[in-house]
Amino acid sequence: MKTDVEVDVKTEGYGEAKALEAPEIAGKDVLQNVFRDRVFNGIYQGTSWQFHRYGIDCKLSGSVYAVSEIDGAIPLIHGPNGCAFHQRLTPRKMYAPVYNLPCTELDENDVIYGGEEKLRKKIYAVYHRFHPSLIAVLPTCVSGLVGDDVQGVITEVEVPCDVLYIPSEGFAHRSRESLDLLMRDYAESWKDPTRSPAYDLRGCGHEEGMFSLVDQLMEEQDIVENLVNIESFGRFTYGFESELQEIKHIFGEMGVRVNLTLPTCTVAEIKRAPAAELNIVTRNIRWAERMKENFGNDYLRKWFFYFGFDGVEKFYLDVASKLGLDGEADAAVKKEKMQALGELERYQRMFARDDFAVSTQGFFFTPYLVNMYAQDLKLPIKYLCVDTQLLKGLNISDRTIEIMMRNMEEAFSNWDMGFEVVMNPTLDEMSEIAKNVDHVLSDRITPPLYEKGGGIGMVDISTTRYLLFRTGFSGIVEFSKYLANVLHRSQPKGNRKPIISRFDYDTTYYPLLAAPMCMASREMWSTMWGMKSERE
Amino acid sequence: MDGGKFFGAFRACSGIKDAVTLTHVPVGCNWGAAMFKSTSNQPDIRQACTVMHEREIVFGGEEALREALVRADTLYNTPLLAVVAGDAPAIIGDDVEAVIDSVALNKEVVWMDAAGFKGTMREGYEDALVHLARLMEERNVIKNSVNLIGFCPDDFKVDADIKEITRLLNHAGVKVNCVISNCSFDEFVNAPAAELNVVMGQGTELVEHMKKDFGVPYLEVGYPYGLEGTKEFTNTICEHLGIGYDAEQEFDLEHFKRIYLYLHELYGTPVSVIGDFHAEPMTGFLDSELGFDIEVLASLEDDYFIFQQNVRDSNTTILFGSSFERNITEELKIPLVRFIYPVFDHVCVYEDAPYAGFRGAVYLTETILNAVMGFETKEIK
Repeated sequence: MKTDVEVDVKTEGYGEAKALEAPEIAGKDVLQNVFRDRVFNGIYQGTSWQFHRYGIDCKLSGSVYAVSEIDGAIPLIHGPNGCAFHQRLTPRKMYAPVYNLPCTELDENDVIYGGEEKLRKKIYAVYHRFHPSLIAVLPTCVSGLVGDDVQGVITEVEVPCDVLYIPSEGFAHRSRESLDLLMRDYAESWKDPTRSPAYDLRGCGHEEGMFSLVDQLMEEQDIVENLVNIESFGRFTYGFESELQEIKHIFGEMGVRVNLTLPTCTVAEIKRAPAAELNIVTRNIRWAERMKENFGNDYLRKWFFYFGFDGVEKFYLDVASKLGLDGEADAAVKKEKMQALGELERYQRMFARDDFAVSTQGFFFTPYLVNMYAQDLKLPIKYLCVDTQLLKGLNISDRTIEIMMRNMEEAFSNWDMGFEVVMNPTLDEMSEIAKNVDHVLSDRITPPLYEKGGGIGMVDISTTRYLLFRTGFSGIVEFSKYLANVLHRSQPKGNRKPIISRFDYDTTYYPLLAAPMCMASREMWSTMWGMKSERE
Repeated sequence: MDGGKFFGAFRACSGIKDAVTLTHVPVGCNWGAAMFKSTSNQPDIRQACTVMHEREIVFGGEEALREALVRADTLYNTPLLAVVAGDAPAIIGDDVEAVIDSVALNKEVVWMDAAGFKGTMREGYEDALVHLARLMEERNVIKNSVNLIGFCPDDFKVDADIKEITRLLNHAGVKVNCVISNCSFDEFVNAPAAELNVVMGQGTELVEHMKKDFGVPYLEVGYPYGLEGTKEFTNTICEHLGIGYDAEQEFDLEHFKRIYLYLHELYGTPVSVIGDFHAEPMTGFLDSELGFDIEVLASLEDDYFIFQQNVRDSNTTILFGSSFERNITEELKIPLVRFIYPVFDHVCVYEDAPYAGFRGAVYLTETILNAVMGFETKEIK
């Protein structure tokens, strides 16, 4: 019996003179990391994401998370002990709770007389216990309502470390509409990154944390040419380390150096952040705008416009342009791209032999994703099945969904990709589609839904598709190698009977169960949260 | 490391299995309570939130509460709405009772002021049960029946433990009338039918209340860990009910015999324990039955950093606690055996694998051995 390691793709006729690397060896570390992330982190992250159908976490948890990314920093909760008790389990890193989370433990007496003295004493105690480089004071609902002068206290205390505060009062959380507005902003500006506006700052805690770092910790520096900062969203984010390595490599070839990843760095590094000529923003631009105001650092937003081979190339050339390296960096970027394209060509030829249906989720970046499937991987797609139900489940408005769908239609028409678009296919329609192609790929989490009753076997690329979103060329190649390997060895999955395919799911709010209590709680949450938004 | 009064009240209320808990709080408190509760029962989402936002902070949260009550009354097919009001409404002075009285609802409504800053998790639990007790009704006493009090629906191993404890008591001729708080609304209402309240660790205010209002006597016992702990638990209850029964007849050492050499090797192992009222009975089993040496025993209300330092300064080789202790066990490269709330990195869904009772003594021992034998970091300097 052949094992995966023994697969000789060359004998299948895909290769030319140069033997094809065994897919499971090439990029093994990268792929393993993707799956390790999915298994060991995703089991918590994916589940907590689904629980957002019933509620959202506190603004405080975002602040705790942001501070936990800073080496040498200690978050200090200024509130009752219950806040510190559960905020240890911040949803962004449930697999790695924030264990060191001291708290001022406000009680009834403090609510009446104020908690400033307790805060003052606790700052000293925290310093003596942990000897941190930074203490980040995080006020809560209680200290916010009592009206403690947190800023005044941290100005007065004298400890041999930095002390800052991050507005984290839990009642100032984000609104239900914020995700919809974000989606709409991006959907409306999907062709032109320069048009994408900054979205609502309030509420997530992480954003407030970034602002506090800019305003309260960073120090004026001489700007160093060709030095950049990269905003991270956590060291545990899917593929963070390996993607960073590739970015650094390409930047290095271009003559660009990375100053730091913000806020995943040390306190001293954050202070020196203004030395960078350029900030590369991966989330909201407001903190970068503030850095521009305070210190004069330019910024570039990295988002879905930079997907795919051409998109990645454009990203690096845009960075070069911002740094005044027009022309100088072109050759380095081109070289990386051509090398990757050379590797990709073999897989493209392999994929070209078969017909594909792709099941994807309607999202603002879907045209770019589909473009990668069709143009970069050259998958002969016969059917593109687009699901918009999940958007409804995320409280995305009909108006925003309509804009996204219009973008998709326009893009597919302009690009003349030649596939049939099927919106929200039923199980029966999906079965018919499956009969007419060699493979059905799904980049969503829905394959178990379609396997119900021994139904349609899909190739699940929902995990590995993250490789396609990397800011480098190698992710697309690694994805292709993976897909080639999976298609080579895959057997029809029609006879499987996964346990999770036996449950009754709600079709709009999949994967929530179609259980009255779940649905009532979801609706209750959605309604109550929505009412707050309407009043703003 | 205490969760505060809000968490205690929430846990008590959410133990009424067909009730909905309406939290009158900003989003974070609601989220935190849900996340700790849902690890081992993900479809059991029976909570709603008034979503107190800046507007409510400025103008008051009474309108939001009224809206939530009316909607929850319509949306949920349940007999009870338990309103748990947290820190923010307590400070801004929402008149929760007046709001509840102002709306006509089809469900029973019980509310409690559970501002986190007003007390400990234990106090929140006690207070909530006393508030809920007004639902109870006078009933004819069922001979040889007991209520088991002190549970929470998100305790680790709760369902398996209750199943085993119920089996043991039934075997001794004792009927379990109601498990508080892990029961239906009807069972809770009918709790005064029990001949005896058995309180384990918490719920003492409820049993005092029930004694006064319904004449139900009570008995305080330790959580039944281990052979001896279980025997004492069962025999004490039987003695109080006048049932001639000695649980020792159920002792079965066969399972322990199968691994007796390992137990020999672990005899004298230095261990530490942190926890709520479960901690002392657990320590009793580890000490007097497995022959471990207890290095540090700490309660949740102790200074956590001092506890950690004490463990560091000890010879502890196994730590018994919650998921929050993973940090110190990783630092010390020792196994962690999770047995108390909150446990968010292990699931317990199989109801025949308890930690309590005679069967629990076997499964707990198996868990300890596996934690040691499967432990990956064994290097010795």
